[in-house]
Amino acid sequence: MDLFTTFDIASSAMRAQRTRLNTISSNLANVETTSTPEGGPYKRKSTYFQTIPMAFEDRLQNSIASKALQGVKVKEILEDDSEPQKVYNPSHPDADEFGYISLPNISVLKEIVDMSSAVRSYEANTTVIKSAKRMALKALEIGR
Amino acid sequence: MSILTQLDGAMNLLHKVLDLRTTNQQVIASNIANADTPGYAPASFQFEKQLRNAVSEVDIRPVTNQPGHFAITPDSINQIKGEITRSPDKTRIGDQNGVKLDQEMINLSENQILYEAAMTMLNKKLALLKYSANDGK
Repeated sequence: MDLFTTFDIASSAMRAQRTRLNTISSNLANVETTSTPEGGPYKRKSTYFQTIPMAFEDRLQNSIASKALQGVKVKEILEDDSEPQKVYNPSHPDADEFGYISLPNISVLKEIVDMSSAVRSYEANTTVIKSAKRMALKALEIGR
Repeated sequence: MSILTQLDGAMNLLHKVLDLRTTNQQVIASNIANADTPGYAPASFQFEKQLRNAVSEVDIRPVTNQPGHFAITPDSINQIKGEITRSPDKTRIGDQNGVKLDQEMINLSENQILYEAAMTMLNKKLALLKYSANDGK
């Protein structure tokens, strides 16, 4: 347990939020993608977060606070299997026999809201790091 | 216990306060990091009550003289460990994450300011010690 544990916790969250932002940007980039190497339209991807215990050596000492210290990681990136949007476009090369193409199940609005949320969470964690840094620098001034 | 803390009881207290504030900061950092984790119950670290009990001059204390007894008030400042309480989300809406980000940010800055206050007091104490060690020069 030291001052740097805070940095570890906040940086784990920043890493996770960055992965989330990458996923969102992938979704937004592929909002019109009708064909993928796996076949079919692009499927919306979403990140799934999970807590990770921090400070393993403290856990062994069974200190009270160490159980509460948890970082975060991206557990997995899930594909959304909901139905694709059907749009009538007979001239498109990916159109089926009825002239419909399947567009990805992505709502741009949802992705933008998710993106803002990821950015805000990222910013909250940078504030934590700033605060921890200020405390560490203050500690260096003891007895000056 | 170092010689400095033996010289001055307040120094010992400030040392403990800085320790506890550091732990509190880590707990808050953990809550903010998990602000988007589904089902996460935020933790809060409380030590103020224990600290008050240890500092205040209480004459009547429960005694532990049987193996089954456990101390309900800490005897000295050094024994204060603080306690963790978890408050899970009660709304049952969305991802059932109980973190209130605005509240956590307020706790973060409050904790930081109080840490710096304790640090300033410690520096004043050391300055006094230095002053007297230098024969008031």
